Amino acid sequence: MTATPTAPSTRLRNGDALEEIVRPQEGLISRRIFTDPEVFELELERIFGKGWFFIGHDSEIPEPGDLVTRPCGIDPVVLIRDDEGVVHAFLNSCRHRGMRIARTDRDNATFLKCPYHGWSYKNNGELLNAACENHYGEGELVKEELGLIPVAQLGSYHGLWFGTWNEHAPPLDEWLGDMRWYMDIIFGRTGGLEIMGPPQIWEVDTAWKFATDNFTDNFHVFSSHHSLVELGMLPNNPDFAAYGHMIVPGNGHILHFVQGEPGNDDYRGLGLSHDLRAKFDEFLTPEQKSIADDHGYSAGTIWPNFHWLQLISAGDMEAHEEAFLNLRMETPITPTRTRMWSWLAVDKDATPEYRKKVYETYVRTFGPSGIFDQDDMENWEDCTRANIGPAARRYTLHHKMGLKRATATDWPGPGVAYPDSYGEMTQRSWYAQWLTSMTGGNGNGRGA
Amino acid sequence: MSQLETAGTPVLPNTELYGRVLEFLHREAELLDTYKFDAWLALFTEDIDYQMPVRTTRFLTDGEGFEDFGLMAENHASLTTRVRRLETEFAWAEVPPSRTRHFISNVIVEQDGDSIEARACFMVTRTRQDLDYQMYTGQRVDRLVPDGDSFKIARRRILADQTVITGTNLSVLF
Repeated sequence: MTATPTAPSTRLRNGDALEEIVRPQEGLISRRIFTDPEVFELELERIFGKGWFFIGHDSEIPEPGDLVTRPCGIDPVVLIRDDEGVVHAFLNSCRHRGMRIARTDRDNATFLKCPYHGWSYKNNGELLNAACENHYGEGELVKEELGLIPVAQLGSYHGLWFGTWNEHAPPLDEWLGDMRWYMDIIFGRTGGLEIMGPPQIWEVDTAWKFATDNFTDNFHVFSSHHSLVELGMLPNNPDFAAYGHMIVPGNGHILHFVQGEPGNDDYRGLGLSHDLRAKFDEFLTPEQKSIADDHGYSAGTIWPNFHWLQLISAGDMEAHEEAFLNLRMETPITPTRTRMWSWLAVDKDATPEYRKKVYETYVRTFGPSGIFDQDDMENWEDCTRANIGPAARRYTLHHKMGLKRATATDWPGPGVAYPDSYGEMTQRSWYAQWLTSMTGGNGNGRGA
Repeated sequence: MSQLETAGTPVLPNTELYGRVLEFLHREAELLDTYKFDAWLALFTEDIDYQMPVRTTRFLTDGEGFEDFGLMAENHASLTTRVRRLETEFAWAEVPPSRTRHFISNVIVEQDGDSIEARACFMVTRTRQDLDYQMYTGQRVDRLVPDGDSFKIARRRILADQTVITGTNLSVLF
């Protein structure tokens, strides 16, 4: 009998096909995909087992031996810089019994020693010693074959390290594609960024996709964060964040740039201090610089679950108007529970005073205690709870805003751009890539 | 981040001062649990330094894992903003409001001149809507200064036990 390669089945056990219940081109997304354990199991295999995932930033492991423990997808890895300065990402698991070998959030280690039987590995992953080696017979312990298991591919862009468990995944540069041009604007604007502090980590009773969906959604702000309108920290204009552009560069990556109401010059230069803005000339092309100059804040999603939020926190909180750059990631634990990761990044050349202001603005507004962010978690949890039942799951969610939106003709960057930052064009692209990944298709996720 | 900023003289439980500190901490907890946020805010000095550091899992030789980076990093203005926000109808994380219970125990009081350090374990339970309750535990380290017959809080460190906050968010006050 000859095995014939087939595309993965798109049919769920009740007979529904994924492409029937998720129709991004029509703006119809089944509620079922947010809570169904069967869909979740397929996501672990087809998305988290195959895609590229953010692990950490260069500045978190500056010295030889520095390590942080993180997931790559959902599998635990240790991101470590070896004695030669080379960065590796290994499955955080001993080759003997699978014991977790790096068991703190960060450390500096020449060797990683497994507590269980004492197998020890160099910080480049080679197995150095095993337990009671004299009791192994000839050929029973081949150390050269028992190094730590590396991710299938590891790559970086602007100091951001990404890994994948899929040896057949396109190389990182190819996968990021046109998104790199926009990452240059956010991560390369002044010649480099660094992460401040450790990540804040917390868990929310939500389907992970509600958190991802939210990151490219501008028009929830006036309603969800209306307490800040009441406090005078957001403009009292429901359209205030509509002035800008949404961009679909492909492969499920999506982003937007917002420039604020006409005449409001606060939303310029990515909200950075003027000494930092002066560096745009050196590090950005004229087209990239024009976008950075004209826009105040930006949110982006690198498919599927890593985001940036370059945000001006307007209003008081001690009149801190310095923009901050928040990096975010959500990793699923169960269909309805998600671990959130949140980092603060800052331009390497920022002054200590500027860093302090950026830090305080960020911590008070975003992250688990942030007066903006708190309310998002409330939405995601209640969306999850209200979509789980047998009645709700028969219905679709509505993602139709801007189905017929004309594209921008004068946008200086790559990808498809829309001259409006209210709309669900980017979300539909994200779900188009979700469908592509889940059904083994070859689309490029430009399904808006 | 060191927990103990002063090496003050122990104030024993059978003293009047210890009793006043304990009563102050209990009344503060009651203000929070009965939504009297303005009265709570009035317990802080104008130059209040209120910090809740991120905790990381580290080896014993690397200390307790508290980082110079916060889950909260507040001053009087930002605490006031948090309270004002809760008074709007749109602070959805607390609309409808959480039912909280602030348990304060293991109170240790030390005196150094006019300054008093009060260290206490806290357990904050949070119940809202029809959800199971959530729990936050840790230690608070407060610097109290005299204010008439009572005290004001000049400095607060909230040292959580959790490295991963499992309570959805930190919309409740500590």
